[in-house]
Amino acid sequence: MKYLIIGGSAAGVACAETLRKHDKSSEIAVISDEVFPLYSRCLLTYLLAGSIDESKLYFKDKTFYEDNNIKFYLCKKAVSIDRKEKSITLKDRTKISYDKLLLATGASPKLVDVPGIDKKGVFTVRKIDDARSIMKMLNKVERIAVLGGGLIGLRDAYALRQRGKEVAVIVKSPQVLSQMVDKQAASLIAARLEKNGIKIMTGLAAKEIIGKEFVEEVLLDNGEKIKCQMIIIGKGVKANTELAASCGLKVEEGIVVDEFLKTSDENIFAAGDCAQTYDIARGERRINALWPCAVEQGERAALNMLDKKIKYDGSLSMNSVDFFGLASISMGVTKPKEEKDYEIISQVKNNIYKKFVLKENVIVGMVLVGDIKPAGIISILIKNRIDVSSIKHLLLDDNFDYAKIMPLVAKYKDKFKLEECKDTIITY
Amino acid sequence: MTKDLLKKKKTKDIKIYCDITKCVGCRSCEIACAVEHSKSKDIFSAIKEKALPKKRVKAENINNKIISLHCQHCEDAPCIKACMSGALSKDEKTGATLQDKDKCVGCWMCVMSCPFGAIVQDVENHIAVKCDLCPDREDFACVAACPTGALFVGTKEEFEKKVKKK
Ligand SMILES: Cc1cc2nc3c(=O)[nH]c(=O)nc-3n(C[C@H](O)[C@H](O)[C@H](O)COP(=O)(O)OP(=O)(O)OC[C@H]3O[C@@H](n4cnc5c(N)ncnc54)[C@H](O)[C@@H]3O)c2cc1C
Ligand code: SF4
Ligand code: SF4
Repeated sequence: MKYLIIGGSAAGVACAETLRKHDKSSEIAVISDEVFPLYSRCLLTYLLAGSIDESKLYFKDKTFYEDNNIKFYLCKKAVSIDRKEKSITLKDRTKISYDKLLLATGASPKLVDVPGIDKKGVFTVRKIDDARSIMKMLNKVERIAVLGGGLIGLRDAYALRQRGKEVAVIVKSPQVLSQMVDKQAASLIAARLEKNGIKIMTGLAAKEIIGKEFVEEVLLDNGEKIKCQMIIIGKGVKANTELAASCGLKVEEGIVVDEFLKTSDENIFAAGDCAQTYDIARGERRINALWPCAVEQGERAALNMLDKKIKYDGSLSMNSVDFFGLASISMGVTKPKEEKDYEIISQVKNNIYKKFVLKENVIVGMVLVGDIKPAGIISILIKNRIDVSSIKHLLLDDNFDYAKIMPLVAKYKDKFKLEECKDTIITY
Repeated sequence: MTKDLLKKKKTKDIKIYCDITKCVGCRSCEIACAVEHSKSKDIFSAIKEKALPKKRVKAENINNKIISLHCQHCEDAPCIKACMSGALSKDEKTGATLQDKDKCVGCWMCVMSCPFGAIVQDVENHIAVKCDLCPDREDFACVAACPTGALFVGTKEEFEKKVKKK
C-alpha cells in the first residue's frame, strides 16, 4: 500500500502517525507547502506575544518523520490530482502515486474587500511566515487596528497588546466573539480586554485603508479615522478546497465526506479544516475548524484508509480562550435561534458566568466564563446526548465535578465510551 | 512493598483505583498529592510556599458516595488530541499520560476535553497540572496516604477481584 497525505499539520500528522502505528511496512508520505515542519499554528499568537520562541512551536518531536519512517516533502505544493491514474503532481512537476490519499489541506484566512488592503502593513495570522513578517515590522509600529472580533481577531489583539502596542479591535457585530458566545459572556470578555488597554469598537466596519506605501489610517463606516501603522485581519477562515474541486470531488463549504471521512472518490479521504463533517450538537453538516477536531478526524481517516471501517460520530464545536487571566470555554449551541424550543439554565455571580442550553433534557451547548472546571465533564454529556434531567439542579453548583455524573455514567453505560467512564463505575 | 510497587509502576495497565464503598472523603490523598508536588515535599514548609502547591486528585461526592478521582491515564486520551502545543503525550511503555511543563502554554484545551475534569489550572504559573504518577518516589503519594485502603494500585482484574471478595 502507498499512503499519501497532502498537508502536514494537525490532521495530516495525526493521520500519518495512526497509519504507521497500525501498518509498519507500507510507504507513507506527507507533502507540505510550508517552510517550517511540524509547527502548531495555534501557537503563533503566543509567538507574537513573545511568550514562546520558535523552538517551542513544534507539536511533535523534530525527528517525528524519521522516527516513523515517513517520507516528508517540505516546501512542495501539490497542484493537481489524477484520480484515474491515482497520482498527484507537485508544482515542480514531480509525480507521486498513491493507493489511498488524504486531503488535509486546511483553511486560509478570509480577506476583506476594502480599498487599500494591498498596502504594506496589512497582515493575516495563519502561517509562520505571517508571524515572522509581523515581528520584523513590530518595533516600528505603535498603533495596530485589528479587523474582526472573532476568536482569531481577539487572540491577535491580545498577543500584540502583550507587546505593549496600542490596539483597537473593529467588530462588525454588536458584540465580540459572536460565533462563539452569547451577549452576556461577550460583555464580560470585552470588559476584561478593555480594562487591559485594548479598545473594542463594536458595530463598525472598515471602509478604506489609507496610506501611501504603508498603512497610516483606517477609515470606518461612521466616518471616524483611526491612526495605525499595522492592520491585522482576523475574520475567520475558509476551507482550502481548490485541489479537491479541480479533480471533481464533491465540494460545498468544505470537502464533503461521509461518516468514514471518505470523499466522493473511494480512494480519497479528507480531514481537518478543509472537511465538512457532521456537527453533533447542531445535527447538521458543517466545518468545525478546530485543532482537536482536525486531530481526531486525521486519526479516524487513517483507520478507514486502513479499511477498518470505523465511523466518525462527528465533531463538537468547542473553544477555549484566556485573556488577561479570564478563562472562557464555549461548546455547541450557545445562542439558539428559536429560544422557545430550548431550556436555558444560567447564572452570573461574582463575574462568573455559566450557561447551559438544553433541548429535551439533553445539553446541546454551554458557555463558561471565569470558572471553566466543569467543561470537560459537560463535553461528554453533550457528545453522548445524555438525558440530564436527574442532575439539572447541580449544573450551576460551584463544586460540579465528575462524581455528579457518576449515576448517569452507571445508568447509561452503553452510551458513554469506555474512555469516559473507565473503571470508576466498577464499584459504583 | 515499595520494591514491588516500583516494579508495578513500570508495567503497563497498572492504574490507581478508588473503591467507592471504602472512600470516606477524608482528603488525605489531596493533601499528600499537594505536598508531593510542592518544592519542599514537606507539609509544614509546603503550606508556606508562595504559590501554594496544587493537588491533582480530588475527593468528590454524590448521594453519599465518595470517590477519590485523578487522571485515569486514558488509552485513547482526549486531552492529548486537544493539546495543540504537544505538551501532553503518551508514554508507550507504561501507558501514562505525561505532560512536558515547558511546552504548556495554558490554553486550557485539555481542561475542555478531559471527561473526568482531572486537569487542574495552575493559574499562578499559567500552566495545566495533572497526575504525573509521582516520578520522584517509588510508590504513589495518594495511595500511601489513604487510611482506609480505598485507593488501590494494580490491574483492572486485580481490582475487580479485590472488590468482589468483600
Ligand atoms: C493563530 C491561530 C490560533 C488558533 N488557535 C486555536 C485554538 O486555540 N484552538 C483550536 O482548536 N484551534 C485553533 N486554531 C485553528 C487550528 O490551528 C486549526 O483548526 C488546525 O490547524 C487545523 O489543522 P489542519 O491540519 O486541518 O489544517 P492546517 O493547519 O490549515 O494545515 C494545512 C496544511 O496543508 C498545507 N497545504 C494546503 N494545500 C496544500 C497543497 N496543495 N500542497 C501542499 N500543502 C498544502 C497548508 O500550507 C498547511 O500547512 C488556530 C488557528 C490560528 C491560525
Ligand atoms: S487528563 Fe483526563 S483525558 Fe487525559 S488521560 Fe487523564 S483522565 Fe484521560
Ligand atoms: S493547557 Fe497546556 S497541556 Fe493543556 S492543552 Fe494547553 S498546552 Fe496542552
